[in-house]
Amino acid sequence: MLLQRFRVFLNLRQLSSIRSQELQHSQEGNSAFKEPSELDLVENETPQRSVLDECTDDISHVAPYLKPTFNFAAYVNKSHTLQELVKLNVDLSVLEKKPEVVSFILKLEFEKDVKDLVIFLSEIGVDDVGAFITKNPFILKADLDNLHVRVNYLKSKRFTNGMIASIVTRNPIWLSTNTQDIDSKLGFFQKEFQLTGKEVRALAVQQPKLITFPLQRVKLNTFVFKEEMGLRDDEVKSMLLKKPNLFMKSQANLLKTFEFLHKKMNIPIERIVEVPEVLMCRLFRIRQRHLFLDSLGRAQYNHRNPNYVSLLQLVSGSDVDFSVDVAKSSVQDFNLFLKSL
Amino acid sequence: MQKTASKALSVITEDATSAWKALNGIICIYKPADVSCHRICNILTYKISNELNQMKCRPCGDYVQIEGDPLTQLTVVKKQNLADHPLVVGPRYNPNNLRCSWSNYLGFNTSGVLLMGLQNGTKTANLIRSNKLMRAYRVKGLLGRATDNFYKDGKVVERTTMGFIKSHHMDRLLSVIQSSHQRKMFDATGVDLQSQTAYDLAVKGQIRPVCSKTPLLYGIKCVDYQPPEFTVEIHCVNEYEMYLKALIHEIGLKLHSTAHCTGIQCIRHSYFNLDHALLQKHWTLQHIFDNLEECGNIISQHENMTNNNTIVIQ
Repeated sequence: MLLQRFRVFLNLRQLSSIRSQELQHSQEGNSAFKEPSELDLVENETPQRSVLDECTDDISHVAPYLKPTFNFAAYVNKSHTLQELVKLNVDLSVLEKKPEVVSFILKLEFEKDVKDLVIFLSEIGVDDVGAFITKNPFILKADLDNLHVRVNYLKSKRFTNGMIASIVTRNPIWLSTNTQDIDSKLGFFQKEFQLTGKEVRALAVQQPKLITFPLQRVKLNTFVFKEEMGLRDDEVKSMLLKKPNLFMKSQANLLKTFEFLHKKMNIPIERIVEVPEVLMCRLFRIRQRHLFLDSLGRAQYNHRNPNYVSLLQLVSGSDVDFSVDVAKSSVQDFNLFLKSL
Repeated sequence: MQKTASKALSVITEDATSAWKALNGIICIYKPADVSCHRICNILTYKISNELNQMKCRPCGDYVQIEGDPLTQLTVVKKQNLADHPLVVGPRYNPNNLRCSWSNYLGFNTSGVLLMGLQNGTKTANLIRSNKLMRAYRVKGLLGRATDNFYKDGKVVERTTMGFIKSHHMDRLLSVIQSSHQRKMFDATGVDLQSQTAYDLAVKGQIRPVCSKTPLLYGIKCVDYQPPEFTVEIHCVNEYEMYLKALIHEIGLKLHSTAHCTGIQCIRHSYFNLDHALLQKHWTLQHIFDNLEECGNIISQHENMTNNNTIVIQ
């Protein structure tokens, strides 16, 4: 951590010297960045004039260097680019935690580097450009033509404009991934789970993050479903389409929840496949609610028998709804029960 | 009385600055099992600072700038100081800035009453800890199986019969354990148990050990016996999680069988019991403020919580 901080410090230090060099060469620059340029001082100095004479020249541009700093706050009042980024709602405090982003952002010029991208993003339907850049600042490095190609690829795969806007807004990394990678990943999902084109599109819209998620993790979770839980291929497919987030969950937690449902609560696998939402629920929540129902003698999850508690009801809703509607008890009793665990 | 208090609180909770200032003191929370105390500190500070950031926070300061040509006309402009903007310097309240520490450390597998000090309350938490107040635990055990780490998640290393153990066997053993601990206390004070001095000592209140390492049991009894499961209620100081687990293991051995621990719950810490404890779903600012007030009242009513002057043995 300290080392990282130090690296940022160094980056900024290098940067402030770069800035001053740039300004020495081109006098235009940003008026706020008034660095003393040594060349100017040398030229202005006429040998005839005595130092005791009154100075009538404008020396207001002579100012100390920007000091090295740990954060953007020191620069933001002077830098036009940073001010524009703040207006766009970009969270600079998040960006400055990544050392490689800091030096990159400080070198940007708003009119040249950022403006076109903002126009492009709002054209394809991203509402909050600031949040987008906060999530994926390296989009500013990308070539606009490449971004157009990536959007056109999606259009060629018959994604509608609304779908593209939704995908890009919810997964800002998508546009930074090149077309070949996206194509191979969509291909992987289509081949692995035997999806139709329509289903692939639905999957990408429902959970765009899954497509750019590391494939290794998706394969690992597929292994957990098929081998460790013993699901059939068509069951895995239906779970993928109903709850794609399951493939991004940590496999250890997934298996723990499954084992509790299957072994402790005696729920058959077919029922779990029908309601994949239960696997997304945190284990402590399922355990608390199941034990409460069990203590009341209401833990009956078989839909063929009377007093049946649906799995969806078990995991959804607030504790008040659960204790009154499902457990036919009161919140006070539920809270008292929780304090006995 | 209560109405005015809740009114005052709702006024506080509109403004983040005054809410931050009011966050001082001890809160009593219900620690779930299988979560560490460190994690609970992190959750609490994160949730509190998150909620404070959503309230009305301090606005940005002013930035004064002199503009124009120095040879002709200079103007003074007052702008919003962007260097103070939450998007640039980060959210106003940071979890790291909120001091939070526990007064009684509960182990990973223990659930129950946990006293937490917030901000200046961490000092009170420290005092409560150094005063060695009594805690009550309800420890569940299972006869017939021994595990390698004395807890239910360990590997079973031995299985024994346990049908011959009756409730009165258990009671007899527990009373032996209790009396041996009581004798140990008086032995350490160096007075004869049958003397008047020993009586005078006992009248003054609980005898506490001066060092914080030796566990002492003040009372132990079986509150529920449904073989193979049993529940023991233990009143003690200086205990730690492994000590309680090992105690259950030892009880099993002494009963000519084996046992392992299946759950540890702290049901009382000095004057705080489960009724005062906040459940995890109630760790929100409003509940925390109510709890701060309630716990503050209890501490001010009982002076011996922070300034205990009963007998101390070396």
